[in-house]
Amino acid sequence: MPYSAIIIKICRAYTNTQEDFEDYYQEVCLQIWKTRNNFRGQAEWSTWVYRLSLNVNLTLMKKKSNHRYATTESLPDELGESSQAFADESLNQLYDAIKLLSEVDRGVILLYLEEKTYQEIADITGTNPNNIGVRIKRIKERLKKLLDGKVN
Amino acid sequence: MEKSIESIWKQGFLNNDALVAPKLNDLYNQKSMHLIDKFKRMFKINLNLIVAGSIMFLGISFLIGIPFMGIGFFLTLTVIVVVNRRLSRGLSKIDKSESSYHYIKAFDDWLREQVSVNRKMAGFYYPLFFLSMVLGFWYASFDGKQPGEALTNKLISTYPDQDLVFGVPIIVIIGVILVTVFLAYFGGRIYNWDLKVVYGDVLKKLDEIITDMEELRN
Repeated sequence: MPYSAIIIKICRAYTNTQEDFEDYYQEVCLQIWKTRNNFRGQAEWSTWVYRLSLNVNLTLMKKKSNHRYATTESLPDELGESSQAFADESLNQLYDAIKLLSEVDRGVILLYLEEKTYQEIADITGTNPNNIGVRIKRIKERLKKLLDGKVN
Repeated sequence: MEKSIESIWKQGFLNNDALVAPKLNDLYNQKSMHLIDKFKRMFKINLNLIVAGSIMFLGISFLIGIPFMGIGFFLTLTVIVVVNRRLSRGLSKIDKSESSYHYIKAFDDWLREQVSVNRKMAGFYYPLFFLSMVLGFWYASFDGKQPGEALTNKLISTYPDQDLVFGVPIIVIIGVILVTVFLAYFGGRIYNWDLKVVYGDVLKKLDEIITDMEELRN
């Protein structure tokens, strides 16, 4: 599947178990396949994949009521399988922190880390580009706090 | 040393192992189901539209004075619907508990048979549609005037030497026979074009899935 890296990165941020991750990944792939004819080329294909992946993840999260970390301020007591998803421990910790953000903030920070421009982030998330900068600053501060000074 | 979240992100994904995609065990199954359900829906809707359209046209044809056309269309379309309804029984017999590959292959076999039957029928029904149209207009009655009669009179006054067969100028009969033979000969090709317009997208996806699955199996 082309652009599978994008889908993996997004699905990891919205799931807590390997099983959920595989389900979400599969559903995104299926939706891309089903709706690929809707891609009209107004944006880049990768932008379209980001948008669709985020939308599918948000929809599935709502369906599965998988919000257990979204409103807590602290890291989960027990590390779920997702915490061991990557070989890089720092990346696992960063993902754990990202999962504590709200659904929209997760999307925004993932797109920021993927080096999307503010305009692209706004296009993909359907938000105002003028607010993206401030929002990213706030999210980064929150992540730093969550990672307890392990990042600068 | 403290790292920024940006550098954690970049370094974390430098290792390609971080981006191993999971196996999509059920994806082809879901694709097949989606595609076949979509086809079944389209097929059912098309047959219902044909039934509704033919009944409506039958009524209208009597109202506007072209009853032969209405009856011809209605009878031809009824045969098409009956044959296709019978063919669609085979569709419900396809075993969903089979593997995705066998399920979609069984569907493909059914579809090929359905297309083959319809292609053969097309050699008959396109000429029948044409003949219904000709008869409909020829014997139509618009304010008590028959277009067939008017055309015959005009042709006789232009070409007074031509023969009439059952009161119809021979040139008209030859023209109708030529078009009918043309439609009978090219009916199958016209049907293929028609099929492409209505189901082209679904059929293309079906071919892609089968090709994908066969590649995976080899």
